[in-house]
Amino acid sequence: MSPRTARTRARLMAAVALAATLLGAAGCTSDGPSAASGGSGASGSSGSSGSSGGGPKQQEYKEGRLRVLASSELTDMEPVLKAAKAATGVSVDFTWSGTLDAAEQVASGKADGRYDAIWLSSNDYLRLRPEAASKLANETPVMSSPVAVGVKPQALARLGWKPQEVTWSAVEEAVAAGKLTYGMTDPVHSNSGFSALVSVASGLSGAQSALTDADVRTAQPRLREFFKGQKLTSGSSGWLVTAYAKRGDVDALVNYESVLLSMNDRAKEPLTVIRPKDGVVTAHYPLTLLTSAPAGARESGRLLTEYLRGDAAQKAITEKTFRRPVAAGVAPAAGLDGERRRELPFPGSRSVADGLLASYENELRRPSRTVYVLDTSGSMAEQDRIGRLKSALTDLTGSGSSGTGERFRDREEVTLLPFGDKVKQVLTHVVEPGNPGPALEAIRGDVGSLRPEGGTAVYGSLKAAYQHLGQGNADAFTSIVLMTDGQSGDKVQDFDSFYAGLPEGQKHTPVFAVLFGDSDRKELTHITELTGGRLFDATDGNGSLDGAFEEIRGYQ
Amino acid sequence: MRRILGIALAVLLIGGVIAVIVIGGQGPDHTPTKSVRGVIGSEKSEFFRDPDVTKALAAKGYTVKTETSGSWAMDQLALKEYDFAFPSSSEPAQEIETAAGVKGAQTTKPFFSPLVVIARANAAKVLADNGLVRMSGKNSGTLLMGPYLKAAEEDRNWQQLTGANAFTELAGRVFIKTTDPATSNSGALFIAATSNVANSGTVVSDDAGIARTAPLLRKLISVQGALEPSTDDPFRAFISGSGEPLILAYESQVASLLIQKQATGEAADMVVLYPDTTVNSPHTFVPISEKARELGTLLATDPKLRELAVRHGFRPQEGVAEFTAATAPYPGYLNPGLTGIRQVGAPTVKVLMALAARAKGQGDTP
Repeated sequence: MSPRTARTRARLMAAVALAATLLGAAGCTSDGPSAASGGSGASGSSGSSGSSGGGPKQQEYKEGRLRVLASSELTDMEPVLKAAKAATGVSVDFTWSGTLDAAEQVASGKADGRYDAIWLSSNDYLRLRPEAASKLANETPVMSSPVAVGVKPQALARLGWKPQEVTWSAVEEAVAAGKLTYGMTDPVHSNSGFSALVSVASGLSGAQSALTDADVRTAQPRLREFFKGQKLTSGSSGWLVTAYAKRGDVDALVNYESVLLSMNDRAKEPLTVIRPKDGVVTAHYPLTLLTSAPAGARESGRLLTEYLRGDAAQKAITEKTFRRPVAAGVAPAAGLDGERRRELPFPGSRSVADGLLASYENELRRPSRTVYVLDTSGSMAEQDRIGRLKSALTDLTGSGSSGTGERFRDREEVTLLPFGDKVKQVLTHVVEPGNPGPALEAIRGDVGSLRPEGGTAVYGSLKAAYQHLGQGNADAFTSIVLMTDGQSGDKVQDFDSFYAGLPEGQKHTPVFAVLFGDSDRKELTHITELTGGRLFDATDGNGSLDGAFEEIRGYQ
Repeated sequence: MRRILGIALAVLLIGGVIAVIVIGGQGPDHTPTKSVRGVIGSEKSEFFRDPDVTKALAAKGYTVKTETSGSWAMDQLALKEYDFAFPSSSEPAQEIETAAGVKGAQTTKPFFSPLVVIARANAAKVLADNGLVRMSGKNSGTLLMGPYLKAAEEDRNWQQLTGANAFTELAGRVFIKTTDPATSNSGALFIAATSNVANSGTVVSDDAGIARTAPLLRKLISVQGALEPSTDDPFRAFISGSGEPLILAYESQVASLLIQKQATGEAADMVVLYPDTTVNSPHTFVPISEKARELGTLLATDPKLRELAVRHGFRPQEGVAEFTAATAPYPGYLNPGLTGIRQVGAPTVKVLMALAARAKGQGDTP
């Protein structure tokens, strides 16, 4: 299998593992779906929001159950879709996906027969792939929400901003002056991050029409300044909100207006939601049937879209999710400001869109410092766990021709920290911009030399990871990935007190733990909650470790 | 030839006999229904979803299920799965017939709807003050294609137009948000009309004409960035209060809102601009399977279905009086007589597709 195929397969497996059945969510807590309220970081023992659903691995179309590849922020549609099921008999099985991933799956034909419909915030990127055109049948915009900036009232006061007057340029200037920090999702993995990136690039380039390569080049210096202020990144909107709430020292969030207003609805201290005066990119959530879907599924899709475009559903949508209705005669929910904004055009060519993403990944965003704390105890020899670990890590090094998001980023510092009874080694490589080959090669070499041997000193090794990150560049996205296949042999109390004693800045480094083999869910949940990380489930078959590692990339 | 005619006659006769048996044997209340599935331009989906349309069709023995597609992309679909295709103009009908293997099928043209540009009130006012639009009432006017295309040619931004600075949303290049001219009917017809104006008022018919008009068409399309596959998306964006200040739509989309008394909120303030030069083309029904052979004629001639077509804003064949009467209670938005609008011919499908490709930056436009 070529690395590229292996990679796509891994993603598919991850997507499948994350399949969440909305209708099965009847037993959910009254707070609504867990991802909307922040995933595992906040919702107790439920574990990773997506993977805890235990969705079916790969399913045939069943009468009246649409299989939908969707943007993760649509978890908030649960009540509306419940009512839709009652009215139409049609239910929805979601599989969450970012824009690029969904575009790849649809354009390559991998979505054929696997999904009946896609429901992303926008199909604009997808349509830049010419192969995708023949894959899309009915396309019905259901609701809309612009990208906005939610700012803490104190920050607003400090900056002396009038919300109606704020522009993307003003935001950039505030960041450059060291007066504003914010969180935003990863454009490669999350639809909202991608829309935000396009908004910011259009706003800061001063482009009067659709972005061109030249506009992106012109905007580079200001974009770099802008992204210096990004202190939080995330693979999904839900986790971003959780992480933001935990941090307390981040001034603002860039996300869809609907996400920010929903968050305010539950928050003690609401953010002021600003739609920048110089323009926004608006998502219209087209529910899009695939031409490959069986006729029955297409008919179900038609019933569902018809229902969703009806007045009752439109009213419920705007009141429950703070998106704007697309039916004339249904008023937007209270709190949705009616003042108009210029719509910033989405790039019309793939080279511009991909160029912008690549630039974000490799040049504009703050670099990442990533530590992989890897259990290489004796038990990893069982069932070729070590082999699966090696393959999952090797996938992340990509190949010479890897696209954006398919390998460790330029400027990224990657550390492998294999452990048994104690830390065995600390192996660090930095991916050199313009010359990523040697570091990626070196990482592959280190991965190849991992040997299963010894016990499982999870906590001591985590400490070593924090200590490693405590030295070196502090101006980076730091994160720790913990992969273990068993129970820890050392003491949690030691780690808890160690963590409590860390300087405040270091406490912001989250641990993303991967459930694998016989690992202890409770133990790992404790670690992710303590550090503000998230749990990923890879206990679900052969490809799921690749999938989990791949998904975690959005958080690093 | 005689032989073919003979067979055709026989088919007609048999058809007639069956029809007699069906009608005579069952009576109007128990007509067995033919279930037909069609692919339609998205602008007609609300028409086919209307319970009264369902009822009127059922009374004539039809259960109709529809799916939408860009009219110019229908020939790419697996057409064998459908009983009919109903693109939004006559031009793509031939390609569809060929692709479906039913060349020479009896197509019908039940109704049409002219293209309009829907503008927010602020945008229309600024355009009028700068000589790009002639207002004919508070909510209607004519888009002057000559001055508009000149502004596009010169890369005019809203900020350069007198009076635009008062409105936050009026910034950036002045453009009309169209659909993808290569796949969607409204986008293709817009290219047809603008190429005519750019070609000094004559239909583009050769490579020289393509070369002459392509650079301007490229501008009209490239400034928009990503293109939508149907008018529904920009129109819904407009209604939701987002999107561009000038969007290309069909008159039917506006008329149906008015007639169904839904022109409230954002929609109430819209200004409907009729381009002074336009290409009108009727929605064309292409039967693919035998089951749907008569459906087109039924849609075109049945009085109830014609009335319902008007309810959804369409103009039935020879139906100016019906349309005018139905929209009379909602004056101020529409131009029922299409007065002052110059109707021009469309280029051939081949030329039009070449223009669309060049407009999208494919082909050899520098």
